Amino acid sequence: MSGRRTGQVLLMLAGLIAWAVQFTVIYGVTSTLCGRGWADATLFGFGIVPATIVSATLITFAATAVAVIWSIKSHRQNAKRPAATTDGFMSHVAILINGLSLVVILWHGISALILPACA
Amino acid sequence: MNAPERPGSFGEQEPELPNPLPRPEGEFEALKKAWKAPRGISFITAVNNTYVGLWYVGTAFLFFILAGILALIMRAQLAAPEGDLVSHDLYNQLFTMHGTVMMFLFAVPAVEAASVYLLPNMQAARDLPFPRLSAYAFWAYFVGGLVFFGTIFFGLSPNGGWFMYPPLTGTKYSPAENADWWLLGIGFIEISAIAGAIEIIVGVMKTRAVGMSLDKLPVYSWAMLVFAVMIVIGFPAIILGTLLLEMERAFDWPFFIAERGGDPLLWQHLFWFFGHPEVYIIFLPATGMVSMIVPTMAQTSLVGYRLIVLALIATGFLSFGLWVHHMFATGLPKMSLSFFSAASTAVAVPSGIQVFAWIATIASGRMKLTTPSLFIIGFLFIFTLGGLTGVMVAMAPFDWQAHDSYFVVAHLHYVLIGGMVFPLFAAFYYWAPVASKHALSERLGRWVFGLMFLGMNVTFLPMHITGLIGMPRRVYTYPVEMGWDALNLVSTIGAFMIAAGVAVFLFDLARNFRFTLEDNAGNVWNASTLEWLPNGTYNTRSIPSVVSRDPLWDQSNLSKDVEDGRYYLPGTATGGREALVTSPFDARPQYILQVPGPGWQPVLAAVFTAAFFLLLTVKFVFTSVICGVLAVGCVIWWLWETDPGPVRPPADIGGGIVVPVYVTGPMNHSWWAMIVLMVVSGMVFTCLIFSYLFLWLVNPGAWPPQGVRIPDWIWPSLSALLYCASAVLIAVASRQLRGADRRNPRSVPILIGVALLLVSGAAAVDLWTQWGTNLSPSAHAYGAAVYAIVSLQIFFVLTTFIMGIYTIARWLAGRLDSVRRTTFDNTMLFWYYTVGQGLTALLVVHGFPRLTGGI
Repeated sequence: MSGRRTGQVLLMLAGLIAWAVQFTVIYGVTSTLCGRGWADATLFGFGIVPATIVSATLITFAATAVAVIWSIKSHRQNAKRPAATTDGFMSHVAILINGLSLVVILWHGISALILPACA
Repeated sequence: MNAPERPGSFGEQEPELPNPLPRPEGEFEALKKAWKAPRGISFITAVNNTYVGLWYVGTAFLFFILAGILALIMRAQLAAPEGDLVSHDLYNQLFTMHGTVMMFLFAVPAVEAASVYLLPNMQAARDLPFPRLSAYAFWAYFVGGLVFFGTIFFGLSPNGGWFMYPPLTGTKYSPAENADWWLLGIGFIEISAIAGAIEIIVGVMKTRAVGMSLDKLPVYSWAMLVFAVMIVIGFPAIILGTLLLEMERAFDWPFFIAERGGDPLLWQHLFWFFGHPEVYIIFLPATGMVSMIVPTMAQTSLVGYRLIVLALIATGFLSFGLWVHHMFATGLPKMSLSFFSAASTAVAVPSGIQVFAWIATIASGRMKLTTPSLFIIGFLFIFTLGGLTGVMVAMAPFDWQAHDSYFVVAHLHYVLIGGMVFPLFAAFYYWAPVASKHALSERLGRWVFGLMFLGMNVTFLPMHITGLIGMPRRVYTYPVEMGWDALNLVSTIGAFMIAAGVAVFLFDLARNFRFTLEDNAGNVWNASTLEWLPNGTYNTRSIPSVVSRDPLWDQSNLSKDVEDGRYYLPGTATGGREALVTSPFDARPQYILQVPGPGWQPVLAAVFTAAFFLLLTVKFVFTSVICGVLAVGCVIWWLWETDPGPVRPPADIGGGIVVPVYVTGPMNHSWWAMIVLMVVSGMVFTCLIFSYLFLWLVNPGAWPPQGVRIPDWIWPSLSALLYCASAVLIAVASRQLRGADRRNPRSVPILIGVALLLVSGAAAVDLWTQWGTNLSPSAHAYGAAVYAIVSLQIFFVLTTFIMGIYTIARWLAGRLDSVRRTTFDNTMLFWYYTVGQGLTALLVVHGFPRLTGGI
């Protein structure tokens, strides 16, 4: 698989990978903190649990947004080359997957934030 | 056969035909001879995807019937209050076996089996890339599955429920061997499923019709690709879980025993990390089938192809974030519940996308109300209802009310029967003409559908109410005064209606299904995809070039031209079985794969593998070990005939395209398979590290427990050094084995030999180090977790050792040189993986307790 194709696959799955990272960080960190009784621990005055949720959500959301923009750019370029049907297909699916991932990341972030972590 | 009428056109240009007529004399005969299946008793050694696929589907359906009979016995028991048809102990075995057989021996194998048959045909490949692996997977499943099912006749069946929760299934509460049958039997059948998944991934990516680029890939192939990747990611969790529970039962290593630092919830995490994706593992192939059937029945192209691809991929990913919704009642923190509740509702979105795409396809065409159509409509109705109750139980407060009640039984049957069984019956009726002289009967098919659809709803709709008014699942009887009798009687009547539907289907099969390849009923539905091309044991006479997703509608005369041998590779270039390997994205021809033919090796290897696991269950350890050795011997015998090297110069496949008959490196199909195998191994190891960290989390201040000494740094450092040195030697050997001049340097086996000593030494040092600290694996979960990691690493080192010896043997036999080096490449990749895993294991086992400082 060439480097270009690897890049296309990664772009296609970028949003879902970002979601997996957000998921792992939020679930891993909160489980550890709750398991050790550190739910109320703070860092620079912020609760570690909500700070982790917010920062993981913002970072992965931003990364996915970049992937969406990149996918759109790539799709526009592919549209100018009628022979590149596979490329066009992959960039279009990348837009769809990354777009859906934006919603999923936000949906998860909010649901994790609105309840007390260890109650 | 006449060219099908085309309902629509993509307006793309048809390709020029690569091969002229008339074809050389004897070309077709040579092709047929190469692919001919053996006769007599040797017939069972056939490896053609068509034969293995059909046996596989037949066996899966047999298990469906057997598990269905168990369900009927249970329904008969529950038809009236205080029933005494079966004892409570037998009832426990019945519901455990019903769930286990349906999930592990019917649902996953059935969809995998269908793909063994359909995928090569749909992609116009001559066969799957590893036909002997398919045969091995089938025979292992066949033998293992039948023996496993046979335990019900001896009172030995597992009885702890299909998800086998400890502590109920630990030795304290289940001292007999019933649980071991589940753990060893099912654990090993999962290995067979993984073998199939590797085959499917490589098959979808590498063996397609020319020009079948990703945007023209049938949706079914997409679905099977996602399905196989999900198996690769999800199944290792249950394999590890069963290993840990079996080690606890056999050696008293307390992974799940709370008194000694273990935690039963660890099992639930491991089980459901596999178990929830399992639902989608079953469902996605079914949706792939639906996406193939709906356009044919509506005689129009599928609406929203790209959205469906999005839905398949997104479902595959998101389904791994839901497992905790099976654990809402275990007292987890509310945030976890909220988080997993959100994931559970999010996954409904891609499923919904697919449903709307099918409805849009039906609306944009003119749906013929055939038997497959009826089953699809039934699927949409039933699955949507199951999906709606799924959203209900995804809400934690509702789940607390419905948990472990008949409401959940109703929900899961709506999802599984609607989402998998109905599409499968649609597929039986739809694709039967591909494999049979006659299509199945439409008239009988309507009876089958009617009985099954009504029976399904009569059985399970009342169960929602039975559950909500308090009937718990898995009770073997109930008192009169509970008021559950009328609803249960209705459910029982419904169950027998489903059985009547299945009986009519069997009658239809017996009357109309006559297996044939060359003389099949043909494209009776005017379908658009390649499995409807004229075929034989070689699948298609020539490998077509396609220009759209509906080639039979858009390329006039395609069937005739393929049959005449006017497309690619119309004969055999090497005189043996071959498949054309294409590039994974654009499906351009890359090389000719020399496919191994029939042989006893996979059959015997499968039988001995099954015997190894099953004899271990009944504690015949010595005989079991002998069978294990024989299984390994058969695999080596099987592999010895593979990796043939470039037996002839590059061959012209038509249209001026000349491709090699042998390649090595990342283009090679077995390189891909090895990478997938490494992902599987990596997932097993990741799940083990998760288990280690989970046990740390539930043991504050006791990691390691008091009195346990962590070994000095010097020993793990030495072990790491040995691992790295062995990898360096393999890299040097690889470098020496380069060049196009078929060099065979003497230093290669020496380097491999020394590397073998080093890698074995590395594992031995770590084991000796732990042993030297008097760390006991049975005193506390810490020791159990450490020894589990060490044991897994030893297993990988042992495998590497066998592979290394085998590679040296190939060099000694003159079967390995700088060109013919696929065997070396495979060993090298696995070696690097083993070293990487070993280093990570050292870091975790020796570094983590120091890092956390015992907190």
